Amino acid sequence: MTEAMLNLVCTLQGHLDRAWNVAWNPTGTLLASCGGDKAVRIWGKEGDKWVCKTVLQDGHQRTIRSVAWSPCGNFLASCSFDATVCIWDKRQGDFECMATLEGHENEVKRVAWSASGHLMATCSRDKSVWIWEFDDDEEFECASVLSAHSQDVKFVTWHPHKDILASASYDDTIKFFKEEEDDWTCFDTLDSHDSTVWSLSFDKTGERLVSCSDDKTVKFWQEYLPDNPQGVATSGSDPKWKCVCTLSGYHSRTIYDVCWCHQTGLVATACGDDAIRVFQEEPNSDKHQPSFNLAVTVNKAHSQDVNSISWNPKIPALLASCSDDGDVKIWQWEQKS
Amino acid sequence: MASKFSGALQLTDLDDFITPSQECIKPVKIEKKPTKTGAIKIGIDGSYLELGQDGSEYKLEKAKITLNDCLACSGCITSAESVLITQQSQDELYRILEENKNLDTQQGSADKKKTVVVSVCPQSRASLAAKYKIGIVEAAQRINGFFKRLGVDLVFDTSFSREFSLIESGKEFIRRYKARDTQKSAIPMLASACPGWICYAEKTHGSYILPYISTTKSPQQIMGSLVKDYLAKRHGKTPDQIYHVTVMPCYDKKLEASRQDFYNDVYRTRDVDCVISTGEVDKMLDVEGISLVDVEPCKEPCDSLFSPQSNELYGHPGGGSGGYLEHVYKYAAQELFGTHIGHLSYKTLRNQDFKEVTLEVDGKEELKFALAYGFRNIQNIVQKIKRGKCQYHFVEIMACPSGCLNGGGQLRPDDGESSKELLQRVDELYNSLETRTPFQSNDIHQLYEDWLGGSDTEKAQHMLHTQYHEVEKMTSALNLKW
Repeated sequence: MTEAMLNLVCTLQGHLDRAWNVAWNPTGTLLASCGGDKAVRIWGKEGDKWVCKTVLQDGHQRTIRSVAWSPCGNFLASCSFDATVCIWDKRQGDFECMATLEGHENEVKRVAWSASGHLMATCSRDKSVWIWEFDDDEEFECASVLSAHSQDVKFVTWHPHKDILASASYDDTIKFFKEEEDDWTCFDTLDSHDSTVWSLSFDKTGERLVSCSDDKTVKFWQEYLPDNPQGVATSGSDPKWKCVCTLSGYHSRTIYDVCWCHQTGLVATACGDDAIRVFQEEPNSDKHQPSFNLAVTVNKAHSQDVNSISWNPKIPALLASCSDDGDVKIWQWEQKS
Repeated sequence: MASKFSGALQLTDLDDFITPSQECIKPVKIEKKPTKTGAIKIGIDGSYLELGQDGSEYKLEKAKITLNDCLACSGCITSAESVLITQQSQDELYRILEENKNLDTQQGSADKKKTVVVSVCPQSRASLAAKYKIGIVEAAQRINGFFKRLGVDLVFDTSFSREFSLIESGKEFIRRYKARDTQKSAIPMLASACPGWICYAEKTHGSYILPYISTTKSPQQIMGSLVKDYLAKRHGKTPDQIYHVTVMPCYDKKLEASRQDFYNDVYRTRDVDCVISTGEVDKMLDVEGISLVDVEPCKEPCDSLFSPQSNELYGHPGGGSGGYLEHVYKYAAQELFGTHIGHLSYKTLRNQDFKEVTLEVDGKEELKFALAYGFRNIQNIVQKIKRGKCQYHFVEIMACPSGCLNGGGQLRPDDGESSKELLQRVDELYNSLETRTPFQSNDIHQLYEDWLGGSDTEKAQHMLHTQYHEVEKMTSALNLKW
């Protein structure tokens, strides 16, 4: 019998209002957080201690809902309820706001860079998903406006290697988009959740996806290519995503975020019941019918809703979380046999 | 119900779901009458009945939101859709035609009949021709025949009013180009024929963008001026005695027709009373139980506003959205630089719906024009203008990807044909007509004189130009959603 623990490394205080989102830079040395105080805080290590390195202010006029690092680590994007997206350039050391992207009609909920760094996606309460191209002149241009969702779009994320985008919405669906000829199109809609889908996370291969929802479940999805040996029906040359596992009964409130660790395969959730949970796949689990076990529950991980969690991309099993209580916390997973 | 409006318009919807009955925030004027306290009961049909003290029942009027209320409000746009269904549809045309028939049978009432005029746009004609696999002229003759059979008096082609629209756009461009050093918002001039784009600009970009938009009316609205002013006078009628219907490739055109700017307060009538989409014409054929190919064709493809010689069909060069860029470009090259342009070589930019064309004179870029169709391309143009980085002098903007031939009101492909293949056929049919430059027609010159008293008169300004209005954003704390 193995025993797993999530040990609190530190609590980072500084946000003056609820903290909405945490994001590690690609090398795992910096953590960005944002919140209702319209500020982005950048945290880094000094000696053994995590400290606030800098605060980015004056970029937005309302709550900053999410932040995302470019794959090169030189740029940080922040998106806000003020309907804009700011791009911060850190090449000169300090973060300078180099562009403000306008176009969304109202609250921008999420921003995400593609693996190549040439594309960025945003989504909004205006029900649309926008794809932006970041060209060599460092100009952003709108490459597509996708109106596939019928409600508020909560989340967008890119495939870890390909130019494939997944989105999640208040319309309870998950949608996949790809570029086809001249424009982007939706090629798959996943509608197995019974309520708002809040967050998505690909595993490191990009062949598996995990989603979490207001319906208090976590679902695992598997990609099936045309002519797959499992006999899952596909259409044309597009893959089909199928729900292969649903975790229910573990969460008592809305699950706001889910993150699949690309180093350890651990899956962490952030929940409205103030808890953080970590799920572990059973050894030898069949990916077409996988089993995940609840390895750890940290009750009262925060004093209010946990809004976001993120595994460090380089340091194995280091997790960051943030909450309505305004705190950002860093946790280390540990397993004793 | 899937929205039929263009993507640009759909995006201006502010709330997650909204219907007039649910969440409409527009205050409604209620006629206050002195009443005694009484009871109200709900009738079996869901209507509200006021009970008088003597036991009589009086049906209470429902508060109604007009399309115009919707347009003046930044609350939502989906509401406008359900309002449109009642105010602008084929049913409304049927109702007017029915009334006319009834008046025919009543003695001495024939003079109360309305003259019913239908103006058909060339994009709708091409869409119907493609569906029924007939030529464009034959389609026109049969569409003409269909409307006449229903009791319509006159059927016109909006290619005619488009000539005014093109000419005025050209002249306006020259004026703006010459003023570009002194007047900040003179250039780029943005085309104004697409109502989806106009509505989006008014609701979302207001004062930043509106000054750049050409004031020239669209072909639909110039047709409205011609029919309700010129034609009415020639027939000795008042504007309200004519019922004017247009057939258009696009639902957003219904919003355009409903604008307060095109409403005549004196006669309480609009320049265009009702807009029906290509698809709605096809539905009418269904209702009549007849295929377009079985409709008895008229000899003529359409009626003429005046001379019987001028009812031949023709097109304008420069694509399925009206050829604004091409006309303005050629006209400006000639007028400003004495350069005759035969063929335009477009350079395709980031996608098929974004192209540019440049005129170099002595190695200097003197004219730089672009076509920008579809919302994503509109976005980039608008953002560039806002940042003062737009290098174009003129942009032909259309809300729909691929432009007007692909409008939201056009017919959908039958099974076995892709949208792209259908669009290709519609495009070929549309371009199968002889084209002419707007100045070739004597009728136009004559109309400038007879109708407008010259080309730069106050009347010409009034009949051929319009204005745009910023819609102020409403923000409400109740709207906030995480």
